[in-house]
Amino acid sequence: MATFVIRRLIASVFVLLAATYIMYNLVALSGDPLEDLRQSSAPNKEELIESRIRLLNLDVAPPLRYFIWFGNVITGNFGVTVEGRSVNALLEQALGSTIQLVTISTVVAIFLGLIVGITTALRQYSGYDYSVTFVSFLFFSLPIFWVAVLLKQFVAIGFNDFLENDPQLPLLAVLALAVVSGALWASIIPGSARRKVVTFAIAAAATAAILTVMNVTGWFSSPALTIGGVAIMGLGAAVGFTALITGLKNRRALIAAVAVAGLGIALYFPFQYNLSFYVTEWWMLLALAVLTALVSGAIGYFAGGHDRGPVIRVAVFTGITTAFVIALDRFMMVWDDYATSGRIRGRPIATIGASTPNLEGSLWVQGVDIYTHLLLPTLALILISFATYTRYSRASLLEVLNQDYIRTARAKGLSERTVVVRHAFRNALIPIATIVAFDIGGLIGGAVITERVFGWTGMGSLFQNGLQRVDPNPVMAFFVIVGGLAILFNLIADLVYAALDPRIRVN
Amino acid sequence: MRISRIGAASAATIAASALVLSACAAPQQESEVVEGSSITVAWNQPFYSYNSNTSFGNATANANIVYMTSGAFNYYDNTPELQKDESFGTYEVVSEDPLVVEYTIADGVQWSDGTPVDAADMLLAWAANSGVPNTPDFDPTEFTDPVTGEFTEDYPTDVVFFDGALGGGLENVSQVPEIDGKTITLEYDNIFVDWELVFGVGLPAHVVAQRALGIEDPQEAKDALVEAIQNNDAEALAPISSVWNSDWNFSEMPSEEDANLLVVNGPYVISDFVADQYITLTANENYVGENTPQIEEVTVRFITDPLAAVQALANGEVDVISPQATADVADALAELDGVTVLNSVEGTYEHIDLQFDQSKSGTFSDPLVREAFLKTIPRQQIVDTLIKPLNPEAEVRNSQLFVPGAPGYDDTVGGNGMAENFGEVDIEGAAALLAEAGVTSPEVCILYATNNPRRVNEFALIQESANQAGFNVTDCGSDDWGGLLGTPGAYDASFFGWQSTSLGVTNSSATFRTGGINNLNYYSNPAVDELLTELDTALEPERQIEIQLEIDRLLMDDAYGLTIFQFPGITAYSDRVEGVSPGPLSPTIFWNIWDWTPTDSESE
Repeated sequence: MATFVIRRLIASVFVLLAATYIMYNLVALSGDPLEDLRQSSAPNKEELIESRIRLLNLDVAPPLRYFIWFGNVITGNFGVTVEGRSVNALLEQALGSTIQLVTISTVVAIFLGLIVGITTALRQYSGYDYSVTFVSFLFFSLPIFWVAVLLKQFVAIGFNDFLENDPQLPLLAVLALAVVSGALWASIIPGSARRKVVTFAIAAAATAAILTVMNVTGWFSSPALTIGGVAIMGLGAAVGFTALITGLKNRRALIAAVAVAGLGIALYFPFQYNLSFYVTEWWMLLALAVLTALVSGAIGYFAGGHDRGPVIRVAVFTGITTAFVIALDRFMMVWDDYATSGRIRGRPIATIGASTPNLEGSLWVQGVDIYTHLLLPTLALILISFATYTRYSRASLLEVLNQDYIRTARAKGLSERTVVVRHAFRNALIPIATIVAFDIGGLIGGAVITERVFGWTGMGSLFQNGLQRVDPNPVMAFFVIVGGLAILFNLIADLVYAALDPRIRVN
Repeated sequence: MRISRIGAASAATIAASALVLSACAAPQQESEVVEGSSITVAWNQPFYSYNSNTSFGNATANANIVYMTSGAFNYYDNTPELQKDESFGTYEVVSEDPLVVEYTIADGVQWSDGTPVDAADMLLAWAANSGVPNTPDFDPTEFTDPVTGEFTEDYPTDVVFFDGALGGGLENVSQVPEIDGKTITLEYDNIFVDWELVFGVGLPAHVVAQRALGIEDPQEAKDALVEAIQNNDAEALAPISSVWNSDWNFSEMPSEEDANLLVVNGPYVISDFVADQYITLTANENYVGENTPQIEEVTVRFITDPLAAVQALANGEVDVISPQATADVADALAELDGVTVLNSVEGTYEHIDLQFDQSKSGTFSDPLVREAFLKTIPRQQIVDTLIKPLNPEAEVRNSQLFVPGAPGYDDTVGGNGMAENFGEVDIEGAAALLAEAGVTSPEVCILYATNNPRRVNEFALIQESANQAGFNVTDCGSDDWGGLLGTPGAYDASFFGWQSTSLGVTNSSATFRTGGINNLNYYSNPAVDELLTELDTALEPERQIEIQLEIDRLLMDDAYGLTIFQFPGITAYSDRVEGVSPGPLSPTIFWNIWDWTPTDSESE
């Protein structure tokens, strides 16, 4: 295996070197780095041109200048830009903001993609399956700059207009959403035609009722889950995770999950109206999440009896979900203050940048601010990458479900839940793991356009501004980092595959 | 049964929760948002250095911020015309031969830390921007770190190098100026007509000296700096120059111990700066001049994409934008409610030059052929089809030397003959001139930027029109047009933009003088050279204008070339602000930042 890794790495380094050489020359020859100065009529034009030539070694032809650049890169420095700014410093900032931008969208896209992919595989050739296929291909084929502009127009500007003057969903919208939700649930839940009609009716009525309550209580201008919402979601998570992981028959798991949810609900008021004011740093929130997981795990451990593993898992998932819902409710509590503040002026959804300039406030306000800024770029990125994940996970699960050992498992009388969750799902994840590894490698370089449209100064703008100014140094910094990551994660993907699937050997 | 048990359990937990709550006192329940408000302006490039006089910091993005936070003896308004700010200081010419100028800071003008602005600051500005104290024959590149573009640690400690606006004209003051209290007297070695544009107070002398020499007290620090400059003490000047060159290069808010980098003397102070996102300026409490700002807080957000800026304006995230003018931007802005759109002109202007010598086919050696060709240039059509959609008020520019709107422009249009003789396309006249010159289908190869769609269209229009008169216009366009400019034998005519950064009269010298650095078409006219020489020493504004009028006329008589249009600019602002009125010269939209007023009473 060591030989494999080393051989791969050596080959990759040579490929990367050749690629940088070509790239460097292409960028350097793509235009005239002195163009802006040539048009200048400033009295010290000569000095300015001369100092730029000296700074960037423009008197050396690009094929040879590459080696000056290369000599510097080996020592870990990427040179300076046309403006004389350090590329290393720019790179550091750019990496930070790009990672901030793409991390959440990737996690959410993977998570959603897997869930939707799996459910479509389980309901193969249903109306739901076809709709998802249609929608995911539709989004997959849209250009992101266009999606981004549309999102800004409708989700930001349009939605802000809606929020600005006494937000009430019109009756037509309520009805339309009710029908959509009814149709969705009816196509997911199997059964006879009559059962589908009943499902449709219940789902549509529930949606309409919830939306009406939201309208009546002015939910859109001051959203809240309240303790009622937290209780419903916490207990729902308890029952749901138990059903999914161990089955409701496992009373120990159910008791542990309900106990965890109950503890969360009991802590609702003390947290919201007292404890949360002392949470002033992000690490505190993270520490609370870890604490929640530990306490839930402990409850699962003590309630678990002889089969502790699954019970602990149920308890931890329930605990984290309940805590998340409580935190969400806490963020919602500052929404109204946030949206009506002088900095936001009733238009909370942002189209540009990473934060509202000069907004000062508690951790919860900052959190809401990050949310309103990340919402659009994250949505845009998810819409595009969602398709890949759903298609792959659907295909992968379907393939596994058709294997002989699944038929055996069913034949020996295992419940459908056990067959899907225990036997099929895990094996279906193996090919997905490699795709995820690829994607993480491609993330840093993949958001060039999104960044520009949403005004994030990350890797994308480093690349694009460099290209515009015919400035090879920042472009090459981008190229080396992105290329290096692609190579690294390709390797990791291969190794992960080998580790997960005993049939594969890396030799 | 189970459900009801769960229900009972949850009721119990909620009750328990309420009970726990009642035991602890909740902290204050006010709004968790700290209030304040601002006007936000979008700019397309991040700020990265507060010293915009160095070659490192020389960029509009920096100059804008420096402008808003600095007092100045004069500035350009939107006419454009040079305005004096006598509440900051005054200056007068004491003697014309030799040229001696005396600058005096007004009483009470102080830095934002309370230290008065005085002659020491001006002495430092002279030392740094004239480069006179610099160690001769020192090449700073040997000690420039290629990683950061800044100077390395092994930079010699006894070498003085101010990386100021060298070549700008202040090097003509080679003797250490005399200072007295708040007054400095600059004596120029040679008469330098643009003296008014080259001098101002830059960085605070006391902070430079505090950082370079480690002296705490501001007055002592200043005294030490003055002494060092007057005695040309290289040992003290070396760290001073190094501090002046590098310390103000910050691309995020400086840390607490570097807070003295934010000491300024203008209407605003820098109060917040997040790397690559925004910089916030707050009204300066210690500002005493007459340009008192009406808006408490101005935030400049860095938005590269023009359409993104438009949508941010639509969404209320920014209040003033000035993106690059394109048809898409103009259309998108026209759709918005509650937004005022101002069409304006920028400092850059498009012009077509004919090669007098060293041309590809030698066509334009004959003045008749030059005149004939200029008669075919469809300038009005170019403006109508390519520029009017972006700026409905766009007009053809009719002068090589004068910026439209600047003093003298109207006179020159009446007298130089560009509007009169070449105002409209005259195919017949051109054909007649060609016949008179006795040439048939002369070749004209035009150099232009092929990567710029607007110029490709211009070329097509010119080609079509000129071919009708019997010219054979061919395409010498290139992506690398900038590098080809002035190359002997490469082309016969070229069109591109010249950028005016000031109204300095010496700027034209490099373009029209025989052998000047911007004389790319090998133009040579002894009469013009003579006038330019006289212009270099003509201190009277009236005489300057007279000479320029004369040059403009001579250029047209020689059929030098034509100017076509001023680049269109576009500015849009929301109904939260009033008073925005952009000018063509830097700092374009910001020139009257103190006249902007908020209309939203809540945000006061």
